[in-house]
Amino acid sequence: MKTRGASIAACLTITTLLVASCGAGSGDDDGPVTLTFQSLSDQPAAIEATESIVAEWNEDHPDVQVEIVPTGWDGVYDKLITQFNGGAAPDIVHYEAASIVPFAVDGYLADLSEYMPDEKKADIPEGILDSVTVDDQIIAYPTELQSYMVFANKTQLEDAGVEVPTGDTMSWDELREIAQATTTGGTYGLGWGLASPTATFMSMAPGFGGTYFEGTGADASLTVGEGEMALPELVNTMAYEDETILPVTMTQSGSETLASFYAGDVAMTVQGSYQAANIAKDAPEGFDWVVLPPLAGPDGAEQAANPQTLSVNIDSEHVEESAEFIDFFTDTDNLAALNEADALIPATTSAQEEMTASLGDENGWSTILSSGQYLTSAPYLFVDAYAQWKDTVATPAYQKFLAQETDADQLATELENGWDEITK
Amino acid sequence: MRTLVRPAQYAALALYIVFLGFPLLWLISASVKSSAELNSLTVSLIPQAWHWENYAQSLARQGLVHSAWNSLVVALASTALVILIALPAAYVLARLKGKIRAAGVGWILVSQVFPVILVILPLFLILRTIGLTDSLVGLTLVHTTYTLPFALWMLQGYVAAIPLDLEEAGSMDGATRFTVLRRIVVPLLAPGVVATAMFSFVSSWNEFFFALVLLQSPENYTLPITLTMFIGGEGKVALGPLAAGSVLAAIPSIVFFSIMQKKLTGGLLSGAVKG
Repeated sequence: MKTRGASIAACLTITTLLVASCGAGSGDDDGPVTLTFQSLSDQPAAIEATESIVAEWNEDHPDVQVEIVPTGWDGVYDKLITQFNGGAAPDIVHYEAASIVPFAVDGYLADLSEYMPDEKKADIPEGILDSVTVDDQIIAYPTELQSYMVFANKTQLEDAGVEVPTGDTMSWDELREIAQATTTGGTYGLGWGLASPTATFMSMAPGFGGTYFEGTGADASLTVGEGEMALPELVNTMAYEDETILPVTMTQSGSETLASFYAGDVAMTVQGSYQAANIAKDAPEGFDWVVLPPLAGPDGAEQAANPQTLSVNIDSEHVEESAEFIDFFTDTDNLAALNEADALIPATTSAQEEMTASLGDENGWSTILSSGQYLTSAPYLFVDAYAQWKDTVATPAYQKFLAQETDADQLATELENGWDEITK
Repeated sequence: MRTLVRPAQYAALALYIVFLGFPLLWLISASVKSSAELNSLTVSLIPQAWHWENYAQSLARQGLVHSAWNSLVVALASTALVILIALPAAYVLARLKGKIRAAGVGWILVSQVFPVILVILPLFLILRTIGLTDSLVGLTLVHTTYTLPFALWMLQGYVAAIPLDLEEAGSMDGATRFTVLRRIVVPLLAPGVVATAMFSFVSSWNEFFFALVLLQSPENYTLPITLTMFIGGEGKVALGPLAAGSVLAAIPSIVFFSIMQKKLTGGLLSGAVKG
């Protein structure tokens, strides 16, 4: 009886391994060039848009076929490190500027400068193109971006006697005043998901003249001065002096804060621009909301751009074909379709204009798209130890500051000393 | 006082079951809620409206069923391999004395301290050399290797618990060494084998990182890889479909456990000490 059990186990093992081997891998056959495109598209509409663009390319280019390899965002950095080191990276790599730059610095990405047509270069705003330029080499085509916007409950603003701002930009002072006007009883003026505040503060610092870093790579240095401290201090003031920020939201993510926005507990919320699509989908019936103009600090409405990117593996046997495909993928129509599906801002001016023309002001699109003109490159994208500093120093330090465990001077000292410890 | 002991025990047990079962109930609840309800401040275990579309979306997307099949194949194969290798090895480890045993035990313990991130690159290069990256066979071998030390540790504990006297009694009754193993040791080890098989199966079924890095083709993706695709960039999460996919993903584990649980208790009852 027991022998039979052992035999069954052995047979099971062999059978399952054989079955497994049947489904594994596939050899390369002679025929058309096949490019592997590791795509991180995650929304059903964006997956569909990506598949549609690739299908169109494949139909028009029988000799250069593109095969989509869908991959999730979770763990993709580790996957890429292994793929590049193991010589098994795809031809075309979808990622984001802040994370792809280290791969370029390490020499894993092809220089696309000579492949990107001049019209395309001119079509990409300078600041965004700078965010994918490393040592004068264009290492990726930027595709999709987000900016931080203020979403407001129009009814609550009107009930508080606030005129909904409509200009090209809106000052932080204006935001503060509206927050004060709409804070009444159990309702707060603002909900701001600052559980992981570093990205928000880094992105919005350019409006206050904050750059944080000087230099690139391992030579970068960090200075936390007036421009860098302006936004954290403003948030602190609004939260604890004005008492216009719903405290619990400061411990939540942006998405979690939306529940308070829908419930009317906060009149406004600062969110990634892509949340417009979620608000349109999830807000209660009759919820009257609006996107307020981009926030402008003393130095303007600039925000750091961290675009999603398409790069080419330098070891690909088909760098030129891959670059041609990416150029096709980022055509005005394709980029507009993809960004509409993902509720993001296209990286080219022409695609932004096309979306503005086709979508109008539905769900705040025109206001969101107008913020695209203020997206600019940021030094942190090109700093080697940024990710480590962000996770181990900056985020805990900001969290302590926002919880009033440290004051502004202590925050600045913690940020700078933490950087020194990491880089010494 | 004694009359209160039994109700208190039941109350404690009930609380423990609620503690264990609540996350699963919450997951099931989330899997049938609409996106709007999931993003509202109203918290309720019972959905306001049953939103079965999450299951349809989950099944329609990313080849969930195919990846579940891949996971099942890899989990069953690695479990079978682990048991086949660990069973005799555990017996030797438990019964052997001397330096080889010490070295074996040392290897088991040391192998547990290496973080996955440290071994993934050399592992990837080795598998690439033998053509087993992007292959379910390669992943099965990796899962087997990764699970084996702990499985060995578990099983050798079960073997050590079997009194040596029983084996000696069998030998004195004229049984050969093989007969002693087959008729006495293996039946007594059944609960240990079942427990180890459960551990191996669940470890492989849930394993994410090796699968993420080693598998390149969507047709080879296992379930954890497919489920992470519901989590997007910029903090976007398709919570409803993700919950629905997770509920579906839990079903094979629950079925496997319910089958094996009978064997686990059955094995315990059919022990060697019969009087």
